[in-house]
Amino acid sequence: MSSLKLTLKVWRQPSRDEAGQFHTYHLEDVSTEMSFLEMLDVLNENLIAQDEEPVAFDHDCREGICGMCSLMINGQAHGPDNETTTCQLHMRHFRDGDTIVIEPWRAKAFPVIRDLVVDRSALDRVIAAGGYVSVNCGSAPDANAVLVPKTDADKAMDAAACIGCGACVAACKNASAMLFVGAKVSQMALLPQGKPERASRVLNMVARMDEEGFGNCTNTAECEAACPAGISLSNIARLNREYLKAALTAAN
Amino acid sequence: MTSLIRALSSSIGKKLLMSVTGLALCGFLVVHLSGNLLLYVGAAEYDAYAHALHAQKILLPIAETGLFLLFILHIALGLITAGENRAAREVKYDTQRSKVIDPSSKGAPNLASKLMVPTGLIVLMFLLIHLGHFKLGIISPGDDASEAAKAGRILSEGFTQVVYLIGTLVLGIHLFHGFQSAFQTMGLNHPKYTPLIKTFGFIFAVCIGLGFASFPAMGYLGRFKETETQTTENRAETPTSITQRK
Repeated sequence: MSSLKLTLKVWRQPSRDEAGQFHTYHLEDVSTEMSFLEMLDVLNENLIAQDEEPVAFDHDCREGICGMCSLMINGQAHGPDNETTTCQLHMRHFRDGDTIVIEPWRAKAFPVIRDLVVDRSALDRVIAAGGYVSVNCGSAPDANAVLVPKTDADKAMDAAACIGCGACVAACKNASAMLFVGAKVSQMALLPQGKPERASRVLNMVARMDEEGFGNCTNTAECEAACPAGISLSNIARLNREYLKAALTAAN
Repeated sequence: MTSLIRALSSSIGKKLLMSVTGLALCGFLVVHLSGNLLLYVGAAEYDAYAHALHAQKILLPIAETGLFLLFILHIALGLITAGENRAAREVKYDTQRSKVIDPSSKGAPNLASKLMVPTGLIVLMFLLIHLGHFKLGIISPGDDASEAAKAGRILSEGFTQVVYLIGTLVLGIHLFHGFQSAFQTMGLNHPKYTPLIKTFGFIFAVCIGLGFASFPAMGYLGRFKETETQTTENRAETPTSITQRK
């Protein structure tokens, strides 16, 4: 086990309406076995000991599945590792003497609440616009009553791996949410349970996405590269197909 | 109908219109380059093509209007979406680094994809100068014996060579991402065909870019100085060959 000496350039912003700026902190004896968030915990312990305000950042499960943690680390969403969330990023990816720039997700649709914490409820509102299936909540249906081809189930499962962290929006030069919406539309469009509301779902979710102020898709593939859940660009193509089909066949 | 207009003015709808107009303009580029390449076959052939084209009194205005609308729609939507994209991130990042790892298949188009607005604007600038030269005749007008002589004269100017070389090569970069991206926007993403489309898009961009860039390059090398004098000498001959063709 080795330890690192780091310089951290951290975005500090007291509240949504106040202006923010970078603060530089020096941290010593950072274990390479720490996760990135544990390193921030150490920083906060130090700040509290010095009677300073700790850095606010989002986190919950610290197991890479809840989608709460975020952070733009040296200009990369969730840091330099692939298919990894910030909580699962370990300090062994950094070198002794490194300067690490830590910023919040930046998008008009994700306003900064404080320091590194942003409000991602825009994604929730997109889900509320149609990212669900309306089912009769009676007794549990018979197993295999609805047959799903294995290949479709696999694709739906891959799309459903999205944890809604917002890294796709953060990494996109246009702050577009197309990968998120693509995954959420795909996981249901692929399954028989999602078919009845297929058209209205995609129209409503895209309308909401646009209302929230996300940008347009330029197909740069940055979202796919930044995604901790490995959501593929083919989900955006499916979203485009679903949208086109729904728009052309809409009755009203 | 209102729902269709609403759908086309959504983010996906706008990008869809851009992809369709972009691909249609790619078709125009193929036709335009084919016509231009006749300049290498011979001045008489080029002139015959130009005259045959201009002789289309009904079809040509229709085609030109369609082309004009394609350009306007593509450019206008490009500017509108670029504005929206800028607005979608009010505070810029201090540092931003790509996470796209595979440079062979994604890296290069990835760079081109981030330059679509600047490359598009450079191509637009070039387009305006090009129209000023050949369509409107307001930039370096001259009394030329033939269309080939006009092209030869304009392509022999230093200013034209620089502007056209930049314009056409930047067009190639624009197409490098634009061509394959249009298919993804139209919803065509397939494990078998997407790599094919990307490879074809790359070859297409190189052919179109270098094909058009060859004209200012050849102009610089003095290729068209002959054409200019030749056609002036053959002035009397050219109309005869056209009548024969008719």
